[in-house]
Parts: sequence; structure tokens; C-alpha cells
Amino acid sequence: MRPNFFHHLHPPTIPAQQSRWRYTLGAGGTAVFLLLVLVVTGALEMFYYTPTPDQAALSVQVISYHVPLGGLVRNLHFWAAQLLMVVTMVHLARVVLTGAYGPPRRFNYLLGLGLFVLAILLNFTGYILRWDQGIHWALVVGTNLLKTIPLIGDTLYEILIGGSQPGPATLIRFYAWHIFGLSLGAVILTGWHVFRVRRDGGIAVPPPLLRRDEARITRYELVRREVLAMILTSAALITLAGFAPAPIDAPIREIAATTSDASAPWFVLWVQQMLKWGDPFLWGVLVPLLVLLVLALIPYILPQPHEGELGRWFPRSNRLARWVLTGIGALVLALTVLALLSGD
Amino acid sequence: MSDSRRATAAASALLLAALLLIWWGDSRRPQPDALTPRLTGQQEYCTTCHTDLPEISPSHPVEIVGCAVCHGGERLALDADLAHRTLRGGGNPSDLSVVEQSCGGSECHSGGSAEGRDHIQRVMTSVQATYAGAITHIRYTFGAQPDQIAHQGIFPVVDAEVSTTTGVPALEAFDPSQDSSPSIQTFSQNCLSCHLSAQPPAGDSFARLTGCAACHTPNVDRFPEGKIHQLTTAIPYTQCNTCHNRGNYDLRSMSFVERTDVPMDRLHDYYQPIAQFTQCEWTLDCVDCHTRIESMGDGDIHSNQSEIEYVQCQTCHGTLTALPRTRIIASEDDLALKLAFLNPVMDLSVGDTILVTAQDEPLWNTRVLPDGTYELVGKATGQVFAFRPVMGTQCTQKPDEQASHYCHECHAVQR
Amino acid sequence: MSEFERRDFLKFTTRALLAASGLFGLGALGRFLNFQTQSPPQTVFDLGLASEYAVGTRRVLPEIPALLIHNEDGFSALSLVCTHLGCTVEENTSGFVCPCHGSLYDDAGNSLRGPAGKPLRALTVETTADGQLRLLLN
Repeated sequence: MRPNFFHHLHPPTIPAQQSRWRYTLGAGGTAVFLLLVLVVTGALEMFYYTPTPDQAALSVQVISYHVPLGGLVRNLHFWAAQLLMVVTMVHLARVVLTGAYGPPRRFNYLLGLGLFVLAILLNFTGYILRWDQGIHWALVVGTNLLKTIPLIGDTLYEILIGGSQPGPATLIRFYAWHIFGLSLGAVILTGWHVFRVRRDGGIAVPPPLLRRDEARITRYELVRREVLAMILTSAALITLAGFAPAPIDAPIREIAATTSDASAPWFVLWVQQMLKWGDPFLWGVLVPLLVLLVLALIPYILPQPHEGELGRWFPRSNRLARWVLTGIGALVLALTVLALLSGD
Repeated sequence: MSDSRRATAAASALLLAALLLIWWGDSRRPQPDALTPRLTGQQEYCTTCHTDLPEISPSHPVEIVGCAVCHGGERLALDADLAHRTLRGGGNPSDLSVVEQSCGGSECHSGGSAEGRDHIQRVMTSVQATYAGAITHIRYTFGAQPDQIAHQGIFPVVDAEVSTTTGVPALEAFDPSQDSSPSIQTFSQNCLSCHLSAQPPAGDSFARLTGCAACHTPNVDRFPEGKIHQLTTAIPYTQCNTCHNRGNYDLRSMSFVERTDVPMDRLHDYYQPIAQFTQCEWTLDCVDCHTRIESMGDGDIHSNQSEIEYVQCQTCHGTLTALPRTRIIASEDDLALKLAFLNPVMDLSVGDTILVTAQDEPLWNTRVLPDGTYELVGKATGQVFAFRPVMGTQCTQKPDEQASHYCHECHAVQR
Repeated sequence: MSEFERRDFLKFTTRALLAASGLFGLGALGRFLNFQTQSPPQTVFDLGLASEYAVGTRRVLPEIPALLIHNEDGFSALSLVCTHLGCTVEENTSGFVCPCHGSLYDDAGNSLRGPAGKPLRALTVETTADGQLRLLLN
């Protein structure tokens, strides 16, 4: 049989340890499946969505209320996007907490981090595409943050917004980024990321000589497990989408006359909370970038986990990395809770 | 091995079950009811839920006007929360804060004064809306302003074209915190509940809406939670009485003293005990004599309502030397016919002769009969009244003293 | 039941269930895409006062597109949509010609030369009680 990408990812047999639920949590694979769901439901939404300021929110209403099953498609897209954020966070945490980022996987770790950033940007641009009163302040604040960057801030802002304030050009730019630029980037990076997994020797487990568990599973068993994860994710998504509608609000009719609440999407609430402390460049740009930098440096400056300790949770050799991630996680969680509490 | 097989089979069943559940839920959704009003040409789905609302008035048929043009709201939303989130003025789009967006537009109620379509401009400058009469007199009395000319109203308003000698070009917003007099402060707390933007005081006898609906949506107290969908020009005196004749202001304590008598019939309910009036004044309704200009304003900002009250006994009865003014309805476009269409108590048509006021406002509910007498149909009651001119009667009134209070000297009703 | 039979049964069940789900998905896709966001085209046209169209005149109404004919027998109208593939035909000296594939019609709309085989469609013209002319795309 000719070698293809599928067989590259599914060798005849793999160590059973590499596909054990309680080790991988199935997070990476689920993220790939969610991306697929997002591409399909997003493509369906494009049949009805109109990216103009006066029509955007109305076309979202048409999708939500009038297109048969349109509400379901939109809710699926929304919930898949939210789940993707959760699943990528879990995936990142799993990789760090099991010490799976060491050489030769350092580059793939960076690819994964890049995908994480893309997921956040996709989520934010998608949120803005609603173009209703609920997103108004997130758009204003999110883009004004760019302006605070010294020297290049104003230029960056104009490149993103397409003018000196949000308007029709902004919407079409966010649309282009969301459905084309960022999505294409995410699909390509995902392919590369997955390709590198096998290239780097599959999911991190001890090398054959140090391996205590000799069991292997076949390609067919692996596919079966993947299918199982996909079906379970689908069922969960469909149920969520059927009973928890995605947020929607009245169209922005006059930019000035918006009174809706100004809470950001849940995954940037922690930044919103820090912005209450003052300097927007420091808290809104530098600190998040610093967090990203720390995450990116984990495989490069922290001690490498021992090969023999791979394939299980909390190896002793990467205690420091564990504390760094736990620290960041606890901080972000605390800020998010604070923002939620002060929001009401 | 067969663990994962069994799990996959079970998960497939779960997936199918979830799909069936969604399909079932979707098929149970009510069929949305689309309405495309001719005025906007944009689909509205309000009638999906609002199935049993009566037509608001003969002049606003829902197939033509629809819902959203007046009420705002999200015409496409099928979720009550979102659909109602952008309603203008809550349930009452005629509230003066939003009336321009709801009822305005050159084809609707903010058109030119020549065609009589400037309703909003007239109401916004009227004393009922500005409350300039009371504010001016109180501020004058307590030394906050030197003259009895209106300077402040409930909201700031400008009149670009002053057309009467008593008209004022603009009002600022009444701000009692700028006035030192404690009486003015008390006035602002106790006495600002009877203008068109104010919520009425508690009590059924005060029950009314705000804005245009304060007058044009009568009898709100008879509907549960004010759920009434009606605009009419057949306004009974009881609606006027939600503001007028409910009591008196005590200027020493700056408080409102509700009348204490319990009126049992129209004769006693209509006016307060101290008032003097003739039979026609209480058998008719207020709107039978008080014209559009008198009750909605003449387009100018006035310092006192009395500046625009001009209909008198002689408007319908004439004087000893002259018959009342009349006009033959010449064409289908005559304002009298349009007004008669809104409240069809009288089958008026081209060729009929009606009475008109000194300012040529048609008294469209009157008619000159062939024998030289007149008839009037009550706008709110539909009751027919026959009446005669003064000319040729025993009346000894001097021609130059024809004001209404002279008529009261002989014709007042005793209670 | 042997191990192999059970395995085959499970495999069959799983595939049948997934196939059913897939069919549902396809059905849903069909329903989703088959929604009309455009309002249906206008079918009734008000042409104004009938007296503005003199007897013996023919007038092209490009926005419909149609030809309004007023002769001794009264008002009648022809659709100017070619019966072949829907292009708008143009008037020439003797009748109508289609710019797309050259179909020819005479001035009464009868087909003279292919590829269109059918005559131009006759449309209904009504006069209302107050003298207004209305054209119906029936």
C-alpha cells in the first residue's frame, strides 16, 4: 500500500501506553476533531452570514431563528469553539504536567503553543463577527489595547481595523481573518503539529529499553478509540447545542448608544480584570505576552524530564515546570473568578 | 479489545439518540408567522406570538404599518427576550423620549404644519409636555424669575418658527437645584406628576400612560397590567380627568390635595365642586369643543395654556348679530373627512356644511341642518345633540361681551 | 454466541447506527441549505392610470419586462422573457429577437425561428374600478 498521511499517523502497532485515556486524556485528538467540526459548521454559516455592519447581526438572527436547524449549526460552532479552548488548555497542561515537551518535542511544543494563540484569535474574531451590542465593548477595548503598544501600536491598529475607528472595514477584515487567514493558519499548523507527533516518535513514552509496559495495540484499535472519542464529543456537542443557545444580542444601530454589559469572552476575563489596575500596555499587553513567553520557554530553560519517567503524570524530574504551570494556572483562574464576581 | 468495540457501539447509539432528540425538538418549534408590512417591506415575526392583539386603530392597519416601525424591537428574533430587548419606550413607543423615532417621520407624525402632520412638534412644545405654565408661575411667585414668561420646561425644547405673539423661542430644562427657594424644591418633588412624560400618581383615577398614549389610549385601568393596544381620537372626559379635576394644589404646603367628594354621576364627576359651567359643557366630552390646537398645542412654546384656548360658546352658537362660522366640505382631501374617518361617529361627506372655529379648525362632528339649526355628535359617546344659533333669540348679551363666563351668568347649571 | 459472531454483530450495529446518524446529518444539511432568504419576486405591477396609455400604442415596460399593448380590443400584455432560456428579447422592425441565441418572434409574440419553440407568454392586464391598470405575472 502506498504510504499516506493516514498511515503515517497510524502505524501498524503502537505502544498501548501512547493511547491510554488516563495518560493522554484524548485532548489533542479531540482538539483536531473540534477543529473539523468548526470548519464544517463555519462553512455552513457562511451560506447565510452577511459581513456588513447593518446586516451582520440580522443575518445571525436569521441563522439562529429562521434557517431550519440554523440555530443548531450556530450553537454547534459556538460550543465547539468553547470546547476547543478548554481542550487545548487541557492538552497544554497534560503536556507540561507529564513532562512530554522535552527534546525532540521542543519544536512541536512551540507549534502547539502557536495553535493555542490561533485558537484564541479565532475565538475573538468569531465573537466580533456577531456585530451586536454584546460584542461592542470587547471590540473597542480589544483593539484599543493595540494602540497602547509604543512605536508600532497605531500602525498595528490601523492594519487590523482598517480605519481610525471600528466600522464597515473592520467587520470585513475580521471576517477575512476569521474565515481565511487564521483558519488556514490553524489548519496548516494542525497538520504540521500532528505530523510532528509521529516524527518525534509518537506520543511521549519511555524509549523501548526503559519501557516497563510491553503491550502494543493495533492500528485498528487506535482508529476505534479515535472514532469513539469523536462520537462521544459529537454527542456532547449536539446535546449542548440543542439545549444551550449561543449568546446573541440586538444589532449595533448607533455606535454611541450601546448599553449592554461589557464583559469580555470568558477566556480573556483574567486580562479584563488586570486592566482595572491601570496601565493598559503593562496589564493588557505585556503581562499576557510575558505569560506566553514563560510558557514558550518551559522546554528550553527548565530541567528536562528523564526519559524513563515519560508516559505518566507528574514525573519527579520536572517538578519546576509543574510549579510554573500551576502558578500561572492558579493566577489566571483567580483573576477570572475575581472578574466574574465583580461583574455582577 | 472488545471493550472498545462495545463502547463504540454504545456511543453510536448515544449519538443517534442525541440527533433524534434534536430533530424532535426542532420539529416541535412553532411555525413562525411572517408579516411583511407594505410601509417597510421588511419581514416581521412579531405575530408569531402576538396572535390576538386587536388592531391599534383604523389608521394604522398592521398589513401596512406592521409592528416594528412604531415599537422597534428585534423583528426577526423568535426569542421573547431578544425580541423585546430594543423595544422603544418599553411597551409604550409614544413616550415623549422616543416619540420622534416611533411616531415621527415626514410621512407620519412629524410632517409639515400645512398638512397638519406636525403632531410631534406641536405636542413637544405644548404646555402639557413642557409643564411650562406651572413651572413659570411657581418660579415667578417664589422669585426665581422676574417675569411670567416661560424660560424653563420639563425638558429643553426649541421652536425654530415662532408664529404667535405669545410664543417663546426656547426653553431650558427646569433644574430646581439651581433655585434656592425651598418652595420650588418642594414643588419639584410633589407637583411634577401631571405632564406627558411623568408617571401618574398611584390610584385608578390617575391611571394613564405617557406621551401620546396619555390621551389617545384611554381607560388603561380597565385592562390588566395596562395591556391595551388602542389609539383613538374618541377620548372620553374621564381620560382628561386623569390629570384635570382631580384636586387642587396647595401653594402654601406645595402639595397636591386630592378632591374628597365621591362623584356618583357625570354631572358631579366632570368638574370640581367649585367650577361653574353650562349644560353643554358636561353633557358633551372635553374633546367635542377643545380642538386639536387647543389640546395638542399650536406649535409654539407658550407660557400658559390659556394663551391658546380660544374656542368659546360663540364658536358654535354665534352672537346676536352673526351666525357661527361654517364651511362646505369641498373635496375628499378635506381634513374634516380624515378626522371623521379616524372616529366614524358621523357619516360626513363632500358637500356637507360643518361649523369651523375662528382659526378655521373644522368641528368635524357638527353639521348645519337644512332648517338652519345644527347638530353635533359626541366624539366619545356618539350621542346626537341639536342646538341653535343665538341670533334671533331672547339673549340679552352685549355683542362685545361674548366671553364664556358671561354666558355662565344666565346658563350655569346648579348642582 | 462465539467471540467472532459477537464481534461481527457489534461491528454491524455500530455501522448501522453511524450510517443512520449520517443520513440524519445529510437530511439536516438539505433542510439547512434549502432556506430562502430572498423575498419572492414581485408578481403584481401597478401601471398607473389606464387613460395614460392611448389606444393603438405599444409600450415596453423594461422593469417587468413586458410589452403593454392597447388596441381596439382593450389592453393585453406579452412577457419579454425568451421562452428558450430566459434572456430578455429585444424589439426589432418586425417583431422580437433574443440576443442570447437568436430566437425570433413576430410582433404578436409567435415563435418564428428556434431555438425557442413556444410563443412569448401572454400576461394578464386588469383595470381596477378607479381606472388603474395592473399587470399580473401569472
